[in-house]
Amino acid sequence: MQSLYFAIMVLALLALVFGAILGFAAIRFKVDGDPIVDQIDNLLPQTQCGQCGHPGCRPYAEAIANGEAINHCPPGGESTIKALADLLDVEAIPLDAEHGTEAVRTIAYIREDECIGCTKCIQACPVDAILGAAKQMHTVIVDECTGCDLCVEPCPVDCIDMLPIEVTPASWHWQPPTDIIATSNHAHHAAPQGDVSHG
Amino acid sequence: MGRVWPFHGGVHPPENKLQSNQSAIVPMPVPKQLVLPLNQHIGAPAKCLIEVGTKVLKGQLIASAQGFVSANLHAPSSGIITAIEERTLPHPSALMDLCIVIDTDGQDQWVDHAGIDPLSVHKGKLLQCIRSAGITGMGGAGFPSAVKLQAKSKINTLIINAAECEPYITADDRLIREYSEQIIAGIQIIRQLLDQPACIIGIEDNKAEAIAILSQALTGIDGIAVAVIPTKYPSGGEKQLIQILTGQQVPHGGIPADLGLVCHNVGTAKAIADAVLLGQPLISRVTTVTGKAAAKAGNYQVLIGTQVSDLMAFAEVDLAATSRLVMGGPMMGFTLTDHQVSVVKSTNCILASSELELAPVADHHACIRCGQCEVVCPAELLPQQLFWFAKAEEFDKAQSHNLADCIECGACAWVCPSQIPLVQYYRFAKGRVKTLHAETQLAEHARLRFETREQRLIDEKLAKEEKRKARAVAAAAAQAAKRAANPDAEDPIAAALARVNQQKQAAATSFTAEPPEDAYKALKTAAAITRTKLKKSSKALTDALASGHEQVESLQTTVDQLTLKADAAKAALSAYETKLGLDPEHEKQLQVTAAKAGAVVRKLEKSLATAEDAAAIEAQIVIAKTAHATANQALETYQHKSTALQQQTQES
Repeated sequence: MQSLYFAIMVLALLALVFGAILGFAAIRFKVDGDPIVDQIDNLLPQTQCGQCGHPGCRPYAEAIANGEAINHCPPGGESTIKALADLLDVEAIPLDAEHGTEAVRTIAYIREDECIGCTKCIQACPVDAILGAAKQMHTVIVDECTGCDLCVEPCPVDCIDMLPIEVTPASWHWQPPTDIIATSNHAHHAAPQGDVSHG
Repeated sequence: MGRVWPFHGGVHPPENKLQSNQSAIVPMPVPKQLVLPLNQHIGAPAKCLIEVGTKVLKGQLIASAQGFVSANLHAPSSGIITAIEERTLPHPSALMDLCIVIDTDGQDQWVDHAGIDPLSVHKGKLLQCIRSAGITGMGGAGFPSAVKLQAKSKINTLIINAAECEPYITADDRLIREYSEQIIAGIQIIRQLLDQPACIIGIEDNKAEAIAILSQALTGIDGIAVAVIPTKYPSGGEKQLIQILTGQQVPHGGIPADLGLVCHNVGTAKAIADAVLLGQPLISRVTTVTGKAAAKAGNYQVLIGTQVSDLMAFAEVDLAATSRLVMGGPMMGFTLTDHQVSVVKSTNCILASSELELAPVADHHACIRCGQCEVVCPAELLPQQLFWFAKAEEFDKAQSHNLADCIECGACAWVCPSQIPLVQYYRFAKGRVKTLHAETQLAEHARLRFETREQRLIDEKLAKEEKRKARAVAAAAAQAAKRAANPDAEDPIAAALARVNQQKQAAATSFTAEPPEDAYKALKTAAAITRTKLKKSSKALTDALASGHEQVESLQTTVDQLTLKADAAKAALSAYETKLGLDPEHEKQLQVTAAKAGAVVRKLEKSLATAEDAAAIEAQIVIAKTAHATANQALETYQHKSTALQQQTQES
């Protein structure tokens, strides 16, 4: 009988000790905020366009953490969906067309002659990328613009254009070779083989 | 002669150097037009200093360096600036960028210039001299040379790259043969700038004449050694040459300066000598024009900005026989689609190849995993793996397989039995990695700005609220102070409230004083309004029920309430009527009788117009008219009675 009491005592003691350790760890190594939300937020394009139905990228990251579908972000497109699927260990699904389609990244440009200086676009811009004052011409700081499209709708004179980003010699990069495999059915076999080098 | 170390991989493509290295460098006459891109170097583009129409002299500064990593640009010959516009660049993208166009006057008149004695000036002045001459690496990459000469750490060894390992190109070979004195002078200036490090000139053993001339020129000069290295492509790559000459490997992501080394091309050494000793900026270079399509293959002293088409015409290139025009060598060069592009500071070769020389871009076969590419890779990478990752766009994996260390030498593609354009895949992957990296940084920046803005908006809102509160408190205090100062004064709010109350009461009494006839009308109207409302709501309810709308319940409540109201209004009306002794039913009956009689009369009168026995109908009309008159009289009597009743009530 005594050994039984002894065993219970030992177990109780162990429980106390481990409980204390766990309690200490819970306080000492407390993680502020939800790290998964941060991780999701890092993968989103930060366009802050609201096409997902949330007021910004972080709210959508929070929604994803709470179980919303990962395919509501048109600016991120397939690559973002893929990255999110990898992170959350879920299946990558095609972009939900209800929220928009993946398009070329654009930048807002104000046709400055037509701007009346109403400041409406300034209030709409989520990243403070528009510069101007009441009754003064406004302009977009191109380097700061995320191409979210939110400034276009409030403009009363419709003087904002969303233009695709121009390719410059600095931003240009090689495209993959057009994938013609000589052995595939639709290949052209006409190309003669050279005898020296084909660097 | 120093010891040489081997490096991994490498290939031995046919050298094809004899076509162009047999004759001396030919100076090309000044072309009619020179087109100078503002960005011929790595780094920020130069800033244009002149305007269209300006007359410039040879060697005059026309665009200045912007920022630390950038280079000046000088007019290569005298003439007039005719345009500053977008022209096609000598770049694989064939995109357009800003270029200065000079129409030369043929006089080739120099601007005032003078050399300095390097030994009599301090380092800063020497460096300034090199920087202002706009010298960039002449080997191919085009990195501003002055930046590399401003070493932050101690440089132990200066390596001069004379390997010229790429097939066909012989520009450095000829340069050494003809300008060995200037090259050595340039090396001495570089050594002076870097505190006299030991210097090794690395040169491939296929340039016997150049080695002999160089060795002879170096007799009696201490500190500069010639290292003859085995001919193998790509021994002229900076990292490969460093490994061959020192046995050391440049660490991943590092630069040679981390090892106490710095590497310059022979052409750069000559340009430095010209800049310091003669005061001549970099305005021309030696370019090899070769290939089976070039009748006068050889090396040419070409002004920077010369159009490739002009150079080809001078070298008698047969355009019809040219199957592929390449700028640079056959291994690392790129195909030119447009011949109206300029020779720039880093253009070392124009290769006009006939169809048999360079195979046209052929269809490639599937990878057979032979592993040849791994064997020849000088960077010791796994080209086959990188190819799969690039093709599948798995850039993370490509990066973890050290894609960034690829020097794009093309050795893997050269040996590939399936003729896969491997380098293009790596270039594509590198480009995408760069873009993705830039995008991530942009996203991070956008997030910061978004969060800052949100915070600002919240702060502004809070500040506004604070201010409002503060104002309210201040107003209350002012009010209290006012009252304290004059306690007998009437409280304005209480007075206003009292006024409003008075008005309300007055309105209430006036309502009760309404004449009963009006009251009767009002009751009637109220009953009618509630009836209509009820009808409308009931209809809405039935519709909602039919369509299963979500607001059915609230509608139901509204209908119930309206039913009660309508009943109440009806009850009030009938109570009033009983009180007055009125009978609306009776009145209605009377009205109906009168109306019917009227209708009969009208009908009869109508039929009278068409009828045959007019007399009979006329008799009927008389009877009907009498009936109508009787009915009207009854109605009038009733209405009179009712009005009298109402008046009576009013009087009482």
